[in-house]
Amino acid sequence: MRKRHDIVIHAVLVGIVLLTMVPFVFVINNSLRTNAEIYHSFFGLPGSVESMVRFTWYRLAGQEDRIALRRAEPDGPAKGETRAADLPVEPVGYAEAMGRLWDDLTRGYRYAWKVLRSYMVNTLLVCVATALGVVAIGSISGYVFSRYRFPGSRALFVAVLSLMMIPGVLTLVPSFLLVKQLGLLNSYGVLILPYVAGGQVFAIFLFKGFFDGLPEELFESARLDGASHFALYWHIVLPLSKQVIAVVGVMTILGTWNNFLWPFITNADAAYHVVASGLYLMGQSPAAANLATMFAAYVLSSVPLLVLFVYATQPFMRGVTSGAFKA
Amino acid sequence: MARSRLQAVARNLGCYVLLSPTFILLAVFCFVPFVWAFTTSFYDYEIGGESAFVGLANYGEYLQDPTFWASFWNLLFLTVFSVVVGVVLPFGVAKLIFSLSSERARYVYRIIFLVPIVVPGVAVLMIWGGLVYGDNGLVNEVLRLAGLEGMTYGWLSDPNTVLWAVAFIGFPFASGINILIYYAGLAGIPESVHEAAELDGASGLRKFFAIDVPLVLSQVKLLVILTVIGVVQGFQGMFILTRGGPGFRSMVPGLWMYFNAFSFQRMGYACAIGVVLFLIILVLTVLNLRYFKSSEDVQAAA
Repeated sequence: MRKRHDIVIHAVLVGIVLLTMVPFVFVINNSLRTNAEIYHSFFGLPGSVESMVRFTWYRLAGQEDRIALRRAEPDGPAKGETRAADLPVEPVGYAEAMGRLWDDLTRGYRYAWKVLRSYMVNTLLVCVATALGVVAIGSISGYVFSRYRFPGSRALFVAVLSLMMIPGVLTLVPSFLLVKQLGLLNSYGVLILPYVAGGQVFAIFLFKGFFDGLPEELFESARLDGASHFALYWHIVLPLSKQVIAVVGVMTILGTWNNFLWPFITNADAAYHVVASGLYLMGQSPAAANLATMFAAYVLSSVPLLVLFVYATQPFMRGVTSGAFKA
Repeated sequence: MARSRLQAVARNLGCYVLLSPTFILLAVFCFVPFVWAFTTSFYDYEIGGESAFVGLANYGEYLQDPTFWASFWNLLFLTVFSVVVGVVLPFGVAKLIFSLSSERARYVYRIIFLVPIVVPGVAVLMIWGGLVYGDNGLVNEVLRLAGLEGMTYGWLSDPNTVLWAVAFIGFPFASGINILIYYAGLAGIPESVHEAAELDGASGLRKFFAIDVPLVLSQVKLLVILTVIGVVQGFQGMFILTRGGPGFRSMVPGLWMYFNAFSFQRMGYACAIGVVLFLIILVLTVLNLRYFKSSEDVQAAA
């Protein structure tokens, strides 16, 4: 009974997962194909792989005379209009064939990387700086609000919380006017400082909630041992807070990585664009004429977060599951 | 009295120093724009141009704006759609995952459903715009494959389909953190509640609606308000894919605010639109907090 029940649920869940994955599967497949191949048939496999399979088959079957490897596409993003099947046939050796396969498959990725590289570096820099800033400032303020009573402590905390209610759509235009006035347009500062300012609010809230749950005895015994305020924070509080730090860090990086509008409007200079705004600009540029390049760019832009995901999932999930989110 | 208060402040000087980065950043980058949003909305202000006090004229003009009714109608449609699918489907998926008997399988599914968040939002939008909805995109190619050539559309350029097309971006809406939040809620329901219901002979479906749904209401509440706030503010999808068109068929207030500020340079008018959206969000949040019962209330009543 139980087993049967489970199988039905598995079937439904796998179905939903597959549906979710469909667009991404086509993105990856089409990132390996030429424009001509994509327009000729949306659903086909990469032509270079097909001819490689044929090549290998003829070799294994000893029909060396039939070997014919078609070169998919001459270099250059604009010349992607010839179909592999229309190109002249030439017999080549195995090493040469493998080299060409690799060349054809990675062509989109090579062009995309050329465009994306500087955006990628900018984004990494901004994400790391923002996450460090949010975690540092958020944890210190959360700690102070959680463990110390002083004149105005409640009022100040309420003031911080009430800022969570201000929606970004209200402040988008005036924030732009402000950073323009401050002379921050076209700089890393315009990408980092407002993110830290906004991101720390939720971080303070999460950190305070977590610190409130730590047992008071922990702090008392440490204080009796003569630990300073900073030592308490550094040696006792922080090592216990890995999960919250993971949640705050991941949420901050996700938000920063995904933010498109702010970098788009505050940077006229391409030198400071990030991946999100860079992808959009790329889509408007001549590079977008080569479909494989765009698809490859989407794949490349997902890789860094995928890496982060592999490392941060466990503590992040534990943090979320332990009930950090509740209204 | 005042003296002892001063002494208390002096004694805790360290606390204030530690809090100062928070408050300096908040004052500059959150509080100033907040105030400016309101003050600017009373001015006719262009960057580099003259600025003149016009009172409530921007608000009056917005009520007469040709996009006003169209954009709020679109917003209502998108909000209702997002709340229904964005709240219900992840809840269903979370419940399915939670019902699995293998601990390991539950963990693996939670990770799998989280993976799609690694794709940047802009990339997702561009993928849907080009690869899924394009003239030679997935939807049209599948229709052609099925011999339904006549049903192919320019999904994002046809006035009759554009809003639905925008709403369906992200189908089947079952990825991301929402599932984890519901899962945490379901995991927090005491085992004894289910056991008691089973003793009373409650069926699976009845248990779902009588126990699970009311007891994760605080998560539902959180996600409803987050979804609504997100949709009311959101215009990135329309900006990237349709620019509000064709006509104003996919225009939303946020996008019109953006165009007024950054295409037409009408900063005051844009701020007025922002203030209107802020007031809507404020009212919805307060209503949600006040009239939507939380699971604590349900538990207290039981």
